[in-house]
Amino acid sequence: MIVLLGILLVGSIFLAVMVGSLGPIGPGDPVKLSFHDAMDALMGGSSYAWVFWDVRIPRVLMAALVGAALACAGTAMQAIFRNSMADPFVIGVSSGAALGAATAGVIGAGVIMGVYASPMFAFGSALAAVTIVYKLGSVKGKVYVDSLLLSGVAVAAFLGALVSLLIYIARQQYHQLLFWLLGSLALASTDKVLILMAPVLVGAFVVILYGRDLDALLMGEETAHNLGASPEVLKKVVLAVAALMTAAAVAFSGVIGFVGLIVPHITRLVVGSNHRLLVPAATLSGAIFLIWADTLARSIVAPTELPVGIITALCGGPFFLYLLRRNSSERASS
Amino acid sequence: MRNFKIHFQYIKSALREGRPPRFVPCRQLEGDRDMNSTKGQDGKWMVILAVAVVASAVVSFTVGYMLAPGDEPETQEYEYAKAVIVTDEWGDVISITMEDDYNRTVVLDGFAERIVSVAPTPTEILFAVGAGDQVVGVDDYSDFPEEAQSLPKVGSWTLNVESIVGLEPDLVVCSDLVPRQQLDLIANQSIPYFIFATRTMEDVYKDVRLAGLMTGHIQEAEAVAASLEARVKAVTDLTLAAGVAKPGVYIEYYPLWTYGPGSFGDNMIALAGAVNIAHDAGNEYPELTSEFIIASDPDVIIYTVGVMTTTNATEISSREGWDQITAVAEGQIYSIDDNLMSRYGPRVVDGLEKLAALIHPELFE
Repeated sequence: MIVLLGILLVGSIFLAVMVGSLGPIGPGDPVKLSFHDAMDALMGGSSYAWVFWDVRIPRVLMAALVGAALACAGTAMQAIFRNSMADPFVIGVSSGAALGAATAGVIGAGVIMGVYASPMFAFGSALAAVTIVYKLGSVKGKVYVDSLLLSGVAVAAFLGALVSLLIYIARQQYHQLLFWLLGSLALASTDKVLILMAPVLVGAFVVILYGRDLDALLMGEETAHNLGASPEVLKKVVLAVAALMTAAAVAFSGVIGFVGLIVPHITRLVVGSNHRLLVPAATLSGAIFLIWADTLARSIVAPTELPVGIITALCGGPFFLYLLRRNSSERASS
Repeated sequence: MRNFKIHFQYIKSALREGRPPRFVPCRQLEGDRDMNSTKGQDGKWMVILAVAVVASAVVSFTVGYMLAPGDEPETQEYEYAKAVIVTDEWGDVISITMEDDYNRTVVLDGFAERIVSVAPTPTEILFAVGAGDQVVGVDDYSDFPEEAQSLPKVGSWTLNVESIVGLEPDLVVCSDLVPRQQLDLIANQSIPYFIFATRTMEDVYKDVRLAGLMTGHIQEAEAVAASLEARVKAVTDLTLAAGVAKPGVYIEYYPLWTYGPGSFGDNMIALAGAVNIAHDAGNEYPELTSEFIIASDPDVIIYTVGVMTTTNATEISSREGWDQITAVAEGQIYSIDDNLMSRYGPRVVDGLEKLAALIHPELFE
């Protein structure tokens, strides 16, 4: 299963980098390159080579990393919270990151820090928001899932209001902020991919390592404890890792919804809830899913592009409902 | 390539002046020396002479060649854009240095010949100065003039970097509403971008002249700018004359949303000889409260007609409490084409003329 998904991922990357305005797969606007011409152009210093190496490849790789990060974090959150509605954004990551990006825009941090200003601010404030939520949701070092969820929702609402206020004050940056809040992979670049790679790969590896403990946790904290897993340490480590992955993804690509909620569910419906299998499978599926969602987003209304969040919701929603429906009717008949 | 061209030009100009390019006599003299040296006797003199001539010829040619391109470049400064155009001695433009509205220095190595315009305002200005042929791509909203509609589209809020690069532009022009991150990406590919941030009528004249400067349509742009200035002056001579009453005006581009201080609309209202009721509002595009508008009691209400329009004169007069407003009571509610208020190219002068005629019908027959 994992090998199959791995092959699919590699295949998706190869196919997706062929798609674009200039071809070889695509509308060919303003010029359409044939497969052969495209291959020739890649080795030269042509503008097509630049488009291919510096625009498409980073974009597809970033889609893969962001998709993997969100799906992996989503799987982890759903296990930790034992709540199927949990997603990477419930603990305030997205609103924290949004606030950081908005602040960077308003105070003009871009002047000093260049293009990395809003990602870095987003990253910092996302982690700060998660820490606050975590403090609010834990009593004497013990994490209570329901109070964590509730404080996450409250903090997210509060930070969301601050973002609206900032957008109101900073009309000039409105479109820049909107671009970011809707989520987009259009600003991918090689160095961003390299920065993103470390937290995502390490994070996914850590969550996969804790797979057996997550299984134990799903049977209840006492059972987990009896099975030798330490629920408190587990919750802290996995939450921190998931928050880090999400913050990194959100910092560079904005808020892309539904991937972290739906991909883990769909994968669970297919492979079951054994986390040693589920976590890697969901991570790979998230990468594949976001690659194709983004490829659609940038080619379906070319030369313009749709916010990728629209595609993830439009594709993910109905498919999820179909699987849910099929699953419950199977359960009813058995 | 440029060096080669200059070299070639140098030889050509030498020929034109009737003097042979210098390396030709060099070779002849070398030939002479060989012949003379076989003669012996007075050969010594000839050798010295020949060597001296050869040496001086080589030195003067080399020095001339090295100095020629840099020796007589002419710089022409244009104060309105903090722009400098450097031309070489044959009149070819070597570089254009300009400052855009965000005080960024933009350097071109010749007049822009392939421009991608990613906002309607620069598109309209470029076409107005006669540089339409140099525009090779536009954003999705650039629909004026008609020729712009058939040009390749490169996206809008999210630009299509691939399409832009595929058009091989030498310059991208944009307004300050376009997200800049993507343009920074393209700028790394040595495709510079130039930002037009138009806020006042003075900016329009400047932008027109700048568009002429970057495309080599300097005279045409000057003529366009001068005619716009003359038309605006014709309006303001009437509207800003002493003794002309200044009615209060409320312009809405979306229910309760209007032009605040620092915006182009605010400047237009002032030029049209009226007082913007939102002139002291908190930001450039404020949302007013219904109460504030009623209390400000505008004498004229104007709504813009465009893609965002959801209202009409009947709806405006029927708003709760608005029957007390002078403009509503006297039926002074008018509409104006949104493009004439928001496309800050030559068309805003049409807008100003319309606006002035609506606000001061007594001044314009």
